[in-house]
Amino acid sequence: MAHPSQLGFQDAASPVMEELLHFHDHTLMIVFLISTLVLYIIVAMVTTKLTNKFILDSQEIEIIWTLLPAMILILIALPSLRILYLMDEINDPHLTIKAMGHQWYWSYEYTDYEDLGFDSYMVPTQDLNPGQFRLLETDHRMVIPVDSPIRVLVSADDVLHSWAVPSLGIKMDAVPGRLNQTAFITSRPGVFYGQCSEICGANHSFMPIVVEAVPLEHFENWSSLMLEDA
Amino acid sequence: MRKSSAVTKIAVQADSPKLNYKEKDRGCTAMAGEEAAGQNKGFKLLGILDVQRTPCAREAILHGAGGSVAAGMLYFLATSRVRRSFDVGFAGFMLTTLGSWFYCRINNAKLRVQQRVIQEGMRNKVIYEGTVLDPTNKPNADAPPGPP
Repeated sequence: MAHPSQLGFQDAASPVMEELLHFHDHTLMIVFLISTLVLYIIVAMVTTKLTNKFILDSQEIEIIWTLLPAMILILIALPSLRILYLMDEINDPHLTIKAMGHQWYWSYEYTDYEDLGFDSYMVPTQDLNPGQFRLLETDHRMVIPVDSPIRVLVSADDVLHSWAVPSLGIKMDAVPGRLNQTAFITSRPGVFYGQCSEICGANHSFMPIVVEAVPLEHFENWSSLMLEDA
Repeated sequence: MRKSSAVTKIAVQADSPKLNYKEKDRGCTAMAGEEAAGQNKGFKLLGILDVQRTPCAREAILHGAGGSVAAGMLYFLATSRVRRSFDVGFAGFMLTTLGSWFYCRINNAKLRVQQRVIQEGMRNKVIYEGTVLDPTNKPNADAPPGPP
């Protein structure tokens, strides 16, 4: 999850998010160098004693400041497109989960093998235990096996919502009457937090998402327990 | 009133006995006052580039600074033109930073690919160990030879 006053990305928990972080670093370095160049040019222009009011054209610099930005854009676009197509790959998921957005909670359905479904409500602040995170904890987490490709089908029951987990690099709109598909693999076990990312009413800020990645045998135990409780 | 910032080690994990992962770095531990003070806050050049946390950034900027000083000094020693030396120094900074950055990132990317191949190999080894698909299985010397 994010720490207080965090501006940057959270640590990556999936290969796609790792690629996004690397692309971000690459692009940020380019932006930093361009900003430094502009700053230097501004200082040079302000402090120069040279004045020539009659410069009309100069072919050399026109060529430079046409070709250079084009090359920079290509340098940014190629990795960007690579990641764009990488994010669309669905590689034989082991599990399919349906995430349905409601006002104002999420519900998850694991219907591959048994009929398992449950709602996931935010834990109110006054009911939090010490160490839990305000506005982020839920009563039931979406538990998944680690290192397994997971397909998530996102939809909504009433209004627009959006299922987002930043550390997995996922954000998918939940549209009533439409099934949106996304897939991911968690690289490590852990608990990953997200929040609804499409305005959906009064409690839009109070319907978080919690994904818990656990080893396979723990996932099997959890699903057995959940089926017994149902 | 609940003091949410006072206690918080990684106690959230206690709710889930199945969970093995502990988030050690700047995730939830930053909420505990002592640990947040002990961590590096990260130094951001121009307010945007965190040179401490971005891989290869620190080396690239340091190489760029060195290249800038070297190029500027050499040009000044050769021509004694101050203003143009600054321009040459700045150009040296840009080129050296870019060169160092891309060289480091390409090596980093190759390492990541190798890491993934090794991880996949380790995972497959565990799955295939003891079966006919195990790549470490030595052929049986007493077994009859295959068809010609």
